[in-house]
Amino acid sequence: MIVQPYAENALRIIFGNSIDLKIHDRVRRAFFICRALKHQYILEIVPSFCACVITYDEDKTSFAELADLLRERLLDLSAVEMPPPRVHEIPVRYGGEYGPDLAFVARHCHLSPEEVIARHTATTYTVYTVGFTPGFPYLGNLDEALDTPRLETPRTRIPAGSVGIAQRQTGIYPFESPAGWRIIGRTSVRLFDTTQSPYSLMEIGDKVRFYEVS
Amino acid sequence: MNHAVTIRNPGLMTLIVDLGRNGYSDVGVPTSAVLDEFACRALYALLDSPDTAVLEVTGPRFALQFHDDTVCAITGARVLAFLDDKPLRPWASFHAGSGSVLRIREVREGFRYYIGFGGGIGIDKVMGSYATNLECRFGGWQGRPLVGGDILTLTPAGKAATRYFPEDMIPAMSSPHRLRVISGPESDFFTPSSLSAFWGKGGAEFFTVSTKLNRTGIRLEGPPLHFRDEAPRSIISEGILPGTVQVPGDGLPIVMLHERTIGGYARAAMVARADRDRLAHLRPGDLVGFEFISLEEAADQWREQKKTMDDFPALCR
Repeated sequence: MIVQPYAENALRIIFGNSIDLKIHDRVRRAFFICRALKHQYILEIVPSFCACVITYDEDKTSFAELADLLRERLLDLSAVEMPPPRVHEIPVRYGGEYGPDLAFVARHCHLSPEEVIARHTATTYTVYTVGFTPGFPYLGNLDEALDTPRLETPRTRIPAGSVGIAQRQTGIYPFESPAGWRIIGRTSVRLFDTTQSPYSLMEIGDKVRFYEVS
Repeated sequence: MNHAVTIRNPGLMTLIVDLGRNGYSDVGVPTSAVLDEFACRALYALLDSPDTAVLEVTGPRFALQFHDDTVCAITGARVLAFLDDKPLRPWASFHAGSGSVLRIREVREGFRYYIGFGGGIGIDKVMGSYATNLECRFGGWQGRPLVGGDILTLTPAGKAATRYFPEDMIPAMSSPHRLRVISGPESDFFTPSSLSAFWGKGGAEFFTVSTKLNRTGIRLEGPPLHFRDEAPRSIISEGILPGTVQVPGDGLPIVMLHERTIGGYARAAMVARADRDRLAHLRPGDLVGFEFISLEEAADQWREQKKTMDDFPALCR
């Protein structure tokens, strides 16, 4: 674990440099510990694949002070009692108007559309991080047989609930938004709701399974 | 209707903003904050209405009509503003009578200007903020830019004296823009010669602001940064901050603003916090040059600027 300054009021805690469940587990543990500190000078914590970025109140604390505290609290990550991850079962309509890129993905991977769906629904995915837009889960790891590059030119607008894949990841677009991932289906599940806490259906470490509906 | 204004013309774009939606970046919620915090805080001080919803306006021809006697103020970009036929002093509050019309004829320097009202705009916060998340259509005014005919209710305020912001403290906002930057986490992805061309140390080059700019980021055109041969062209996505200078494979920098929490491009630099507000005023075609400073210098500058902003209420008289 490395703690590094990032900006006048921010630091990075780095756990590695690859998309890997072991590194993810350490990021998640660190995130839960930092959040549980309820430290009044910690303003934002952004956990991602390999790091946490912390923004703090630089009037009340300093990089040196906060880094010391974090190094002490994050010393033994394995000793922390973690809540079991939540599991989300997500219904998806695949192909057709819901998944305009399903046929392309099938061709690219030399599979039938049915085989793409079977492989996409066979994996229990882990939420590595949430971002891009509010509530967007980056899910891994996608079956390597489905590895497909992003669109060269992103679409400017796709409907909310669109399920996309890109390389070894899959994700769900919570809002109508631009999208560079290959869209293979759509879900009616609402991933983000500004009127209900918790606002985001998913957070780092949750597990996700997709199932096909017609 | 009592205590309200009607938008007659939103200019190029008018959004409701505040100091930002904080505390939810772990689930990807960006702050959507006001782009020029200095101007926003000056507005709050002029109106004695801290932490209220204000208008962030781009472009000339903005117009609104007051339903009632109201205290109003404009800060940010230097504009030619009229209340009916009377020219208004910029960065000052003024009394607007019932039925009067505020018009912005011209934006003379800078890009975004801010209009606020004594007491603030009477809307509800969404997730702790009035700011508009334009991409996802929530917050602000029904999650969208204002259009002609929108009627904004104002929160009634007590009678306030008109106040002026010290003229000599209004920041410069015109091109060329000089932005101080600190080193970003991936600055070593780039060749030393392209870094020194980028951020100075004897001969920084200017970039031109492209037409690809919005509240998410500003794309620059100019001499591309060169990746070292062995450096990857992207990174595993990680948390970014407003002012992060991301460099995609084409080597042309993108300065990120307030609408993303994570990013996957190499972060060559971060715009110093003390210069971040200037990003609100970059217009297509403007020139931008970067200048490297240490994190310690950046922290000192920011501390000083914050002290100045804390003094705004005493400075506005």
